[in-house]
Amino acid sequence: MDTSKETMESRFAETFGADLAVENGNSWISDRRRAMESFQANGFPKRKSESYKYTPVSKRLNDAFPAAQDIETLKTDSAFASLDGIHLSTRNGLLRHGNQISGLPAGLTIASLKKTYDGNPEFLSGILSSALDLERDPFSALAAASASDGVFIHVESGVHIDETIVIHHDEVDSAGFVQPRLLIVAEKGASVNMLEHFGQSSVAPAFENRIAEALVEKGARVDHVLVYERNENATFVNGLHVTQADESHFSTNTITLGGGLVRNNLHFLPDGEECETHLNGLYIARGNMHVDNHTIVDHAKPNCVSNELFKGIVTDKATGVFNGKVLVRQDAQKINAYQTSKSIVLDRNASIYAKPELEIYADDVKCSHGATTGELDDEALFYLRARGINYETARMMLLEAFARDVVDLIELEGVREYLYSRLHEILLDN
Amino acid sequence: MLTINNLHVSIEEEGTKILNGLDLKVNAGEVHAIMGPNGSGKSTLASVLAGKDGYEIDQGSISFDGDDLMEMDPDERAREGLFLAFQYPVELPGVSMSNFLKQAVNSVREHRNQDPLSAGDFLKMMKEKAAFVHLDPSLKSRAVNEGFSGGEKKRNEIFQLAMLDPKLAILDETDSGLDIDALRIVADGVNQLRSPDRAFVVITHYQRLLDYIVPDFVHVLVDGKIVMSGDKQLALELEEKGYDWIKDEQGQLT
Repeated sequence: MDTSKETMESRFAETFGADLAVENGNSWISDRRRAMESFQANGFPKRKSESYKYTPVSKRLNDAFPAAQDIETLKTDSAFASLDGIHLSTRNGLLRHGNQISGLPAGLTIASLKKTYDGNPEFLSGILSSALDLERDPFSALAAASASDGVFIHVESGVHIDETIVIHHDEVDSAGFVQPRLLIVAEKGASVNMLEHFGQSSVAPAFENRIAEALVEKGARVDHVLVYERNENATFVNGLHVTQADESHFSTNTITLGGGLVRNNLHFLPDGEECETHLNGLYIARGNMHVDNHTIVDHAKPNCVSNELFKGIVTDKATGVFNGKVLVRQDAQKINAYQTSKSIVLDRNASIYAKPELEIYADDVKCSHGATTGELDDEALFYLRARGINYETARMMLLEAFARDVVDLIELEGVREYLYSRLHEILLDN
Repeated sequence: MLTINNLHVSIEEEGTKILNGLDLKVNAGEVHAIMGPNGSGKSTLASVLAGKDGYEIDQGSISFDGDDLMEMDPDERAREGLFLAFQYPVELPGVSMSNFLKQAVNSVREHRNQDPLSAGDFLKMMKEKAAFVHLDPSLKSRAVNEGFSGGEKKRNEIFQLAMLDPKLAILDETDSGLDIDALRIVADGVNQLRSPDRAFVVITHYQRLLDYIVPDFVHVLVDGKIVMSGDKQLALELEEKGYDWIKDEQGQLT
């Protein structure tokens, strides 16, 4: 019914925007109000909405309002607990350790976003939401409107954090709608690398609609890895919005091994010259899983490089979607932008939708994209079998080689090792 | 060791007949060369022996060491000791040579009731066999055939042959695309692997390879059938007179 559609947005606005009534000169509240207005104006993706054509996230919203007594806290697996690094755990995306983590290296702050804002509103008011394009994605707009707190990671100018920041998203509500926020600021010449882990859960947790923003200032470097492994009925909308200044470097590797419906919205704005941007991703979709990687690289300034590699394996009745857009604006000359998506379909009931898009307004650029989808290579399989290797082993070797290609781009050895063994387990079962 | 009787083979989907009553008998220790013009069915024979999909066996039988080869999967055939050196070795991105060979060698060893090789013994064996065909031992960390030159790919096939120690090796146009130096290296490798227990079927278009790998028997395959057999002199005669000569002879006979 159309009337229910109409009320859906207002119901979300009422529930998650309840604390927006009083602005009181608080710039974050006014930002959130703007986000809410944008969300209400655009609404959730409709069936005909191009960017959600293959991914019916809105269908899953009905479960967003469970009775309060039905919600418990779900503990999920923290597979990376023994990894070297600075560890933090979240509950519904908020720091579990209190408001600020102590004992960190000089120049690194990890704290509650709200406490940081309240302590120094002027510092964050220009930063928060500056990487967001509210019109682009209603889920990000809703999360930006709803989240009243989050995690703030701040690396001061010139500071290099060698240890990996490991974020265990290992407690989450068992039902409902959770909208956490993450803000990463790497100041001039700073560097930091981080791993976010959404661990395995025995049952489906709340619908997680998260928004992460990263501001990478001049000459700074941020390396980011996300491993998502929640239950096969979980829903996750992952908005990552990155703005880069001159000579900065950002890489992300988004590994989706779980979830019932996962939508990764990865939006990059290299808004300076000599930027380097790497977006890599891997997913294995099985059962009834639906995994959608939606990427936008918006080259606004000249002399930048972006490189994108997404790979997927789908089997059973699962669906994989890849929509990668590279936009090169008129003034952005001398851009090198490469995009590759490759997928393997193991079952005739599984589907892949791949849509690479190049939109180029500058005339002196090098851009390429390639998308391949196919079954496992028969010639390769035969070659292995002709050497005495049985079918099952040969198939595993080829699938693992295909998937490892992406994992190998992760610099953290412990993470690679973990993913190798998880890939082996998952592929063996399918 | 290998007995092929009245083999008729067609391509599975289109039904085109490729082999039309082929007979061949290969004993241990022998080297047989199969020559023939393009399209005569040489590579089909190699593929059918190795168990590649896409072919229909319409008639005939193939026995390998007394077992019905057609009943075996490709990997079973390989474990039983049949080896095909591919005309076009396949590139396997992401699969390292060492992992590939370890899996292959240990699959064969397991079948022979031998323990898997230790890491040290395996490396030693790789080093030793790679030297047969002058392959750089550092290739172990490279992906199988990826970025290999044409010559390296062919040498890699003979290297794998040496590693797997088969009873019967089929070389499918191993000479194609090789310059004379590479040809010599490959042939030297093969000659070192000749033994009273091992047989070779060498499939080639040109006589050139047979200067280096001297066969005991030469067979001429035309239109899916062996039309003439002889010793190494036959290869020289063919080189001189060309395949049309055989076709003419056949024409006169019928």
